Amino acid sequence: MMFIEYTWLVPLIPAICFLIVGFFGNMFDKRHGGGFLAIAGVAVSCVLSVLISAEFFMSSAYVDVGYVAKSFTWFAFPGGFDINIGYYVDTLSCLMMMFASFISMLILIYSLGYMSEEGKRKQRYFAEVALFVTGMLGLAVSNNFLMMFIFWEVMGLCSYLLIGFWSFSHPEGDDASDNAASAAKKAFLVTRLGDVSLMAGLFILLFAFKSLDYTVVFDAASIAAVDHNLIVLASLLIFGGAIGKSAQFPLLDWLPDAMAGPTTVSALIHAATMVKAGVYLVARCFPIFTEASGVMLFVAVIGGFTAFFAATMAMNNMNIKKVLAYSTLSQLGYMFLALGAGGYMIAIGMESGNTALIAAGSVGYVAGCLHMVNHAFFKALLFLGSGSVIHSTGTEDMREMGGLESKMKVTSITMLIGSLSIAGFPFFAGFWSKDLILEQVLHAGDYGAAGWVFIVLWLLAVVTAFMTAFYMFRMWYMTFRGPMHKKSEHSHGESPRSMTIPLMVLSVFAFGFGFVLFFGFDSLLSIQIIGGQFRMGGMESGGAHYLVEFFTNVWTYVTIALVLLAIYLAKNMYELGKIDPARFNGDGESWLYKALTERWWFPQLYDQLSWKLGYGVARGVEFIDSNIIDGSVNGLSNAVAGSGELVSKAQTGDVNNYASAVIGGLIVLFVAVVALFVFMGGL
Amino acid sequence: MFDLPEIPYLLTLLIAIPLIGAITTLFMGGEKQKHARMTSIAFSAVTLVLAVYLMLSNDYGAYAESHTWIDTAGLKMSYMLAVDGLSILMVFLTALLLLVVSVFTFEQHDKPNYFFALLLAMEVGLMGVYLAADYFLFYIMWEVVLIPMYFMISWFGGPRRHYAAIKFFIYTHVASLVMLIGIFAIVFQAAAGGVADFSFAAVLAGSAAFSGVFQSLAFGLLFFGFAVKMPIVPFHTWLPDAHTEAPTAGSVLLAAVMLKMGSYGIIRVCLEVLPDGAVSWQAIMVVVALVAIVYGAYACIAQNDLKKMVAFSSVSHMGMVLLGIACLSEIGVMFAIFQMFAHGLITAVLFMTCGLAHDLYDTREIPLLGGLAAKTPIYATFMMFGFLASLGLPGLVGFWGEFGVIFGFYEYALSINMIWLIVFCLLSLLLTAGYYLWAIQRSMFGRLTTKLSDKVMSRIRDINKAEGIAMGIMCLMIAVFGLWPDLALSIISPYSSALIGVI
Repeated sequence: MMFIEYTWLVPLIPAICFLIVGFFGNMFDKRHGGGFLAIAGVAVSCVLSVLISAEFFMSSAYVDVGYVAKSFTWFAFPGGFDINIGYYVDTLSCLMMMFASFISMLILIYSLGYMSEEGKRKQRYFAEVALFVTGMLGLAVSNNFLMMFIFWEVMGLCSYLLIGFWSFSHPEGDDASDNAASAAKKAFLVTRLGDVSLMAGLFILLFAFKSLDYTVVFDAASIAAVDHNLIVLASLLIFGGAIGKSAQFPLLDWLPDAMAGPTTVSALIHAATMVKAGVYLVARCFPIFTEASGVMLFVAVIGGFTAFFAATMAMNNMNIKKVLAYSTLSQLGYMFLALGAGGYMIAIGMESGNTALIAAGSVGYVAGCLHMVNHAFFKALLFLGSGSVIHSTGTEDMREMGGLESKMKVTSITMLIGSLSIAGFPFFAGFWSKDLILEQVLHAGDYGAAGWVFIVLWLLAVVTAFMTAFYMFRMWYMTFRGPMHKKSEHSHGESPRSMTIPLMVLSVFAFGFGFVLFFGFDSLLSIQIIGGQFRMGGMESGGAHYLVEFFTNVWTYVTIALVLLAIYLAKNMYELGKIDPARFNGDGESWLYKALTERWWFPQLYDQLSWKLGYGVARGVEFIDSNIIDGSVNGLSNAVAGSGELVSKAQTGDVNNYASAVIGGLIVLFVAVVALFVFMGGL
Repeated sequence: MFDLPEIPYLLTLLIAIPLIGAITTLFMGGEKQKHARMTSIAFSAVTLVLAVYLMLSNDYGAYAESHTWIDTAGLKMSYMLAVDGLSILMVFLTALLLLVVSVFTFEQHDKPNYFFALLLAMEVGLMGVYLAADYFLFYIMWEVVLIPMYFMISWFGGPRRHYAAIKFFIYTHVASLVMLIGIFAIVFQAAAGGVADFSFAAVLAGSAAFSGVFQSLAFGLLFFGFAVKMPIVPFHTWLPDAHTEAPTAGSVLLAAVMLKMGSYGIIRVCLEVLPDGAVSWQAIMVVVALVAIVYGAYACIAQNDLKKMVAFSSVSHMGMVLLGIACLSEIGVMFAIFQMFAHGLITAVLFMTCGLAHDLYDTREIPLLGGLAAKTPIYATFMMFGFLASLGLPGLVGFWGEFGVIFGFYEYALSINMIWLIVFCLLSLLLTAGYYLWAIQRSMFGRLTTKLSDKVMSRIRDINKAEGIAMGIMCLMIAVFGLWPDLALSIISPYSSALIGVI
């Protein structure tokens, strides 16, 4: 134990950088607003995470128990509920902290160039990004749900602040400011809906387990001691949190709007932090989620549907960042689909005691997590690439671009690599994980009463793979090939070094990271059950068998063929112009085209709902408050003032009158008191 | 926490020092009035030091004081002071806020000597309420708080100040009369025909013989008195008016410590003395609290005045306090007390920022503002911090209050098989985030407003040093107690566990 003991430093270093940069950034670093300190802090965290992971994988704890945890009492709730603080290192948290810190570091380096024209505001930018990274790294190393929830919310806050980075005095004018302010609010409120659900889940777990430590909640003995229905309810509520954070159906609408922030922020949210937290949460909660196959089925259905639904909206969008945003939603859906399918098999395997099925299900877990990391690399690459394009052309509309390949060599090649990877072109990173997911979903269709659902989901997923390849290459061809349009003619050319070097580094990973699957990576990331206990990692299986599985499976070739067809179509439509896209959409008049541009009318639905349920009810309450409640208070006081005058006329000076008034008053009082006694006695 | 040497008459000093300060500043007329603020700062700083010293010492019981005041054949009233885990945080909060608002009120050019004298007089009353251990003293101090606040609103308030001041005075005064009847009832019932001793201890000792019906009735009277002060829907309408019209310093004290008198009274009197009454009123308290939480949150959404919105948010958050109390469980009461403290810290920042809006922009109407973060970034940062703290961002103090109370309520809801009741609490969390973010979006973000006159626009300034220091101190407290809630919880928990032992 050398480095693992210092795991708490991993989130703490960026947190300290946040404070220093936030208060003094412009003082010690006038040119970059403290940017270098933020980069250095995240870099140290990144190195530390690698060292911790290396130590963990070589330690006996990895083989024996699967995790290293340390817990201190933070404070105690009365009734024996301990709230702890500490760290928890296992394969999942190692993976999360490595890729999150590494990609964040690259994004920060890129920001030096991208945000160079922001002047004094850079201080705020770098401070908030450092806090964002703190949130993600803290989430990864937390040892209990409450601590995890705190970092979860810190990320929500940072996404709010960064999406709204330009929510006042936007460089592009007032409308853009309004837009950013409203997008930031929407992001926070929609994810808050999920957070509240997650919080409710935590109440249930805390009450049932008397603790929120992972070591307690994920313990098979303590799970067995808790009411099964409560666990199912808690799992669903916790998944509600993941739906909000990872923008799954129906809480997906905030993510496309969140494009109002700087592109680097989008890259951060989509690749390294924020939306990955939801996937992490589901992966982390496998031991309780797999208590019921229904929960896992629900996860898979939400994921599979979102993958398809979001991909449709990317098909005809003209904004380069929005296309990428929808693709993120879609890819996140894939991850949930994989986790759900794998978990479904594990859950059924646990019910029937079928260990082979559990082992087969753990492949879904590997696929989901691998896709999460692959996606982090290629999506960071794509967003930073699109940022480079926007930086150079000054527009986000792809219709104003075109033919940029000659002016921006590095950007176009790296983005091509990213697009090939996300499209699932053979041997690129995305190919391996996506194919593993498809295979796993089809496999899950063989088991349980709800197996047919997975067949449907598989069909959706295959169609989605086709659509993904199509819209990604539509984007690439529209931007880099074809005729030049006005903005690309006036572009500044290639971006500075600080921006292109991160692109090159990322493209190496976006191409090659999938190969780790064959070097035992799946065993590092696997999940298995030993002696009734869930364990992450430790299954020694090599990985070469995947190669055989992939290439003996006929469906793999079908998917590859679909991907190639989609790329071919996109090339003909947007580079060569041989096929006119208008043929398919009735010149933009068909109902489907409109539905897609209007995002299936989801934003309108949300606006209406929140307006009616929020402001509408509020107006009603305000009316009641000022007219009925306050009205009766004022009415009463007026009545008292008025009757005062009346009563003054009763000052007759006649003792008989007074006496009868006193007696009358006493009678009234007596009746009132008796009535009160009867009422209270019956209470 | 520490074994500190005992300071004799410490509790009396906590009342006497502000009193001397109030008298001193009051007579600083003419030329000397420009020193009134510094005098107030000096006296409140000394009080704060003593309060912190008291809070950090180990044995609160050792500080109790008792001097017989009126001792006749039938009545016994004493000057008794005591402090325990329930009151110490409120004492600290009062002392802290008085210093902070004195620092904050930088530009009081109109009769500053009266202004600061009233502030210090309020501290006298507040300290008295939280330290009193005798019902008679308690009631006197309760009324002492009322009077300076009345003058504060009607002399230094906004355009509708006379209406608001009168409404505040009559409404709360009527309530305190009802409370007085309740006090008489429990004191004489406890005396059972003997000498009516007004001390807390004597009433508590006599309360063992109270019948269930009597407890319910007395609880009702006292609860009404305290509920108006808290305030609880539907007795809350004095609050928005009083807040809107009061000067910033007055609003801060009103929301941060004066409202707590109500919840303090419910715990101190209703729960301690009338536990059976509390049990029979439990269902009503729960319903009222849930209504207040959701109703207050919805009312906030409809407000256009920043200060009025924050005033309604107090209704919602004090409903949270009542909900914790209504659980009648250790967790519930403990976090209700914590929430009182948390709300005091947070609401001070809220009222300082929202009050400043009038100084900076000449209006607090949200529709007239917009995009002002560009002009006043530091101000906007403080506002954002306050709003985030109030909407319960984890890591800040407000989160623990809400988390604990809702968890306590979950426990209660589970025990009566109505787990769905927590949906109302969760709804309020969502609404709270909604109205705050919507308000800051409309006032600070988006396009720069064009609805303010050029004259106002040209003289917009960011906050000055004094205001920055005052709000900075409060923000620091919010963060410290948020990261280390045990600092307050460890003080509360002996009290709350002893109290629940009785119920």
